[in-house]
Amino acid sequence: MSAAADRGVPSARPGLWQRLRYRVRIALREPTTLIGILAALLFAYLIIVPILSLLVDAGRVQFGDERRIGTEPGAWTFYYISRALFSPVAGNLFWAPLVNTLSVAFGAIGISLAIGGPLAWLVSRTDMFARRWFATALIVPFMLPAWTFALAWTTLFKNRSVGGQLGWFEALGLTPPDWLAYGQVPITIILALNYIPFFILLFGNALRRFDSQLEDSARMLGARSSTVALKIIGPMMLPALMSAIILAFAKCIGEFGVPYVLGLPVNYDLLATGLYRSISSRQTGVAAVLAAAIMLIGIVSLLIDARLVREARKFVTVGNKGAMARQSALGPLRIPATAFAALIFLISVGLPLLTLTLSTVMRVPANFALSNFTLDYWIGTNLETVALRTGILLSPALWSAAFNTLTIVGTASICSGLLGLLVGYVVVRTPLRPLAVFLRQVTFLPYLVPGIAFAAAYLSLFAVQRGPIPALYGTAAILMLALVADQMPYASRAGISAMMQLGKDPEEAAQVSGAGWFRRMVSIVVPIQKGALVTGILLPFISGIKGLSLFVILAVPATDVLTTYSLRLVDYNYTQAANAVVLIIAAIAYFGTLLAQKLTKTNLADGLGS
Amino acid sequence: MPAITLYGARKNYGGSAPDAVSDLDLVIDDGEFMCLLGPSGCGKTTTLRMVAGLEHLSGGRIAVGERVVDCVTSGTFVSPEKRGMGLVFQSYALWPHMTIERNTDFGLRLRKVPRAERQERVEKVMKTLGIEKYRDRYPSQLSGGQQQRVALARMLAVNPDVLLLDEPLSNLDARLRLEMRAELKRLHEEFKTTIVFVTHDQWEAMTLATSIAVMSEGALQQVGTPNDIYERPANRFVAEFVGSPPINIVEMGEGSTNPLAVSARAYFARHHPRLADIGSIGMRPESVAFALDEKAIPDGAFSEKAVVSGVLPTGGSWIIELAAQGAKLFLTTHQPPAISDGDAGWFHIRPETLHVFDAEGVRHAAADTQLRGEVGSTARRATRKVPA
Repeated sequence: MSAAADRGVPSARPGLWQRLRYRVRIALREPTTLIGILAALLFAYLIIVPILSLLVDAGRVQFGDERRIGTEPGAWTFYYISRALFSPVAGNLFWAPLVNTLSVAFGAIGISLAIGGPLAWLVSRTDMFARRWFATALIVPFMLPAWTFALAWTTLFKNRSVGGQLGWFEALGLTPPDWLAYGQVPITIILALNYIPFFILLFGNALRRFDSQLEDSARMLGARSSTVALKIIGPMMLPALMSAIILAFAKCIGEFGVPYVLGLPVNYDLLATGLYRSISSRQTGVAAVLAAAIMLIGIVSLLIDARLVREARKFVTVGNKGAMARQSALGPLRIPATAFAALIFLISVGLPLLTLTLSTVMRVPANFALSNFTLDYWIGTNLETVALRTGILLSPALWSAAFNTLTIVGTASICSGLLGLLVGYVVVRTPLRPLAVFLRQVTFLPYLVPGIAFAAAYLSLFAVQRGPIPALYGTAAILMLALVADQMPYASRAGISAMMQLGKDPEEAAQVSGAGWFRRMVSIVVPIQKGALVTGILLPFISGIKGLSLFVILAVPATDVLTTYSLRLVDYNYTQAANAVVLIIAAIAYFGTLLAQKLTKTNLADGLGS
Repeated sequence: MPAITLYGARKNYGGSAPDAVSDLDLVIDDGEFMCLLGPSGCGKTTTLRMVAGLEHLSGGRIAVGERVVDCVTSGTFVSPEKRGMGLVFQSYALWPHMTIERNTDFGLRLRKVPRAERQERVEKVMKTLGIEKYRDRYPSQLSGGQQQRVALARMLAVNPDVLLLDEPLSNLDARLRLEMRAELKRLHEEFKTTIVFVTHDQWEAMTLATSIAVMSEGALQQVGTPNDIYERPANRFVAEFVGSPPINIVEMGEGSTNPLAVSARAYFARHHPRLADIGSIGMRPESVAFALDEKAIPDGAFSEKAVVSGVLPTGGSWIIELAAQGAKLFLTTHQPPAISDGDAGWFHIRPETLHVFDAEGVRHAAADTQLRGEVGSTARRATRKVPA
């Protein structure tokens, strides 16, 4: 007799009201949901409101513009949009920077693809000499701030068009032309060098995962190498390649430091520097339009990327088990290939860092006599300069900037690390699905908004008092808030994936053993996630230290950090000191990244994919 | 006294998905070793998690003893940490940052058991499971079998009223699994705990359980002793799921024209003319015999010509594949068979070992009465007496 067929009356289904009451009771049984709701409110305020405020700024009359526009401040207007897009000055304000940005982006991506693509293949699928060493060495530029290389470039190529210490070539009597010293060419080259690691990481990863058996099957069926490359490998690699291109593009759109150093001297504006100009000349409305444009480009390109990544996932299932990567033998090309990789390493890492380092210990550029070398710029005293009369390491300004960096970036990183883990916990555990979806998406939003536009949004929201929140401009608080919000995509991703990996079991085991929510957090979740938490703090810290775009808009001299300090030194033409500070930042970023990788036993590429 | 009662328990994960568990009525008695058995995705783990409180219900209610722990209609929900149960996960879910000893005494610390007593109990349970020498190691330093023991020890230490086991042996190799099976049985006798055990392995269920609940697609198919389940499967699903090699089924429905069905129909018409509405018959491989000589067929047995198409030794026993009237039959024997491929003869089976199902695939009660001379069913029913 079947027990299923055995049942007489079907049990009464609970009514809607009863179901609702039951669900609410279960949702509120633990603080997870409550914490989630609080976090959702916090992020709505830190992320969505500034962006909305910025968008509103683009459509309302700003203070100081009422005369020109002829209406009260706060009234709705198309003035800024038409001024930025259609007026006689629109060319300078918007279209020229847009065209410049796009041509730099496409140029840089073209070059880095042409170099990075073959390199990715060399380090992942061939028997090149020192392959493993190159795999790490070639992605070093990714760990360093891009404008480090811009400073190295000026150290080499700066000419007499701009005041200050000469570049090495000029000092040797070979005057570099303006087009080589500033503007489109150097910006494109430096960004290209900076994006090569993108291709090595993303494209190389896809190549590594590519199952050789797929190739072999085609070969067994009689396909020639060229056919295999064209019909099998090519189509399957396309999503990864497109993804790398688009990520590089999105990064390029918001790039500020490089065009600031290399573009401004010859008035070569990109969108990001144009935005900076508008803000410093107090054209808030136009700045808002520019920021919105940057945001729009960023969002569109990342949406395309998300689509491609999904596309790529479809392929992943094809060759998951028993995948094996076979290396191609390069044969006689082994030495030239290795030389090519070495050359790229030299150009993208060795030369810039060497130049910068040497420049900090040389009095006069490009004079390699022993008497020209000195450690004065690091540790000297009573120098013959107007300001900064001591070596940089003895200058109180450096230490106060370092202290500021440590406190501001440090606090923000600790906050975002903790918040990230909390968001991860709520997203994975809450029974309220809409809350999980909202938190996941809102914390990811800043990823779509380039830092400079985000900074502009913060400026727009917190420059004046609003309700109970006082005007925060000029305080360390606005920097910390902006940093936290800006870092949330990484922190929350890290938190979510850590919680996903942990799975429910260990926590449920504790729950069945009788541990309540708080006890489980303290005894189980946090101790197990220690590593993830440390990384969740360390990675934002590194990116905060090299970050420039947020600080350049939101920092004031009282909240000077290492990056803004070095930029000011550049502006004042204290070349050696500026380069020294940049080297310090680069060293912190590099060793911090290594530490983070060691702690998590992961490599950088994993955090890049989506 | 029932330890656990599920009454119309239902779980739906939302959307248009079918119920993961639908209207489940099940009583698990105090001290019982109950196995939830079924193919993957049948809702057995969901049922276990609902009992533990790790999943909440979409309808119905669950009571532990006299106390309702989960009921949608009255809005009652007792948190897992307050249900006093133990749960051993398939993944073991040991806490990687704690030593074996800390893993084991975690529950006792939570219950604020005095230090001396705590140590004594941990000592005892670790000794019982043979893990006392690993007390200062971390889970990652233990093998799968040792981790499994720690997971068990951790739950046994708090002496729970009910111990829930979610496929705890599936990650072990065959030999260890056998050892742990014996150990579980011994522990059940020693600690007298009610155990609910989820598995998809029928041998595990057969060897361990005092009763088995077979589930399929979220619905309970049959509850009974291991013998009941094997000897008197309540329906086609249970008959076909339990047993290896699987039971031989002959479809007998209206219009079934395969020669074996025709011959079976003729057999029933001659020997048991009053039996109507036969949908299919099942023959356990060990009940089927093969004879080269027609005279060896006992009286009243169902038999038909067959040709040997394969002899597969499995070590100690043999599986013989027969082609009978175009149908394929398996039989098992422990005697070394003196036959080889291509031998022609007869298969035969005694009527009382036949399993007869009606057109819906439900066990044919009248056939049991006629063929076996039994009345009614011994399959235990779910009780409806649930405390309000």
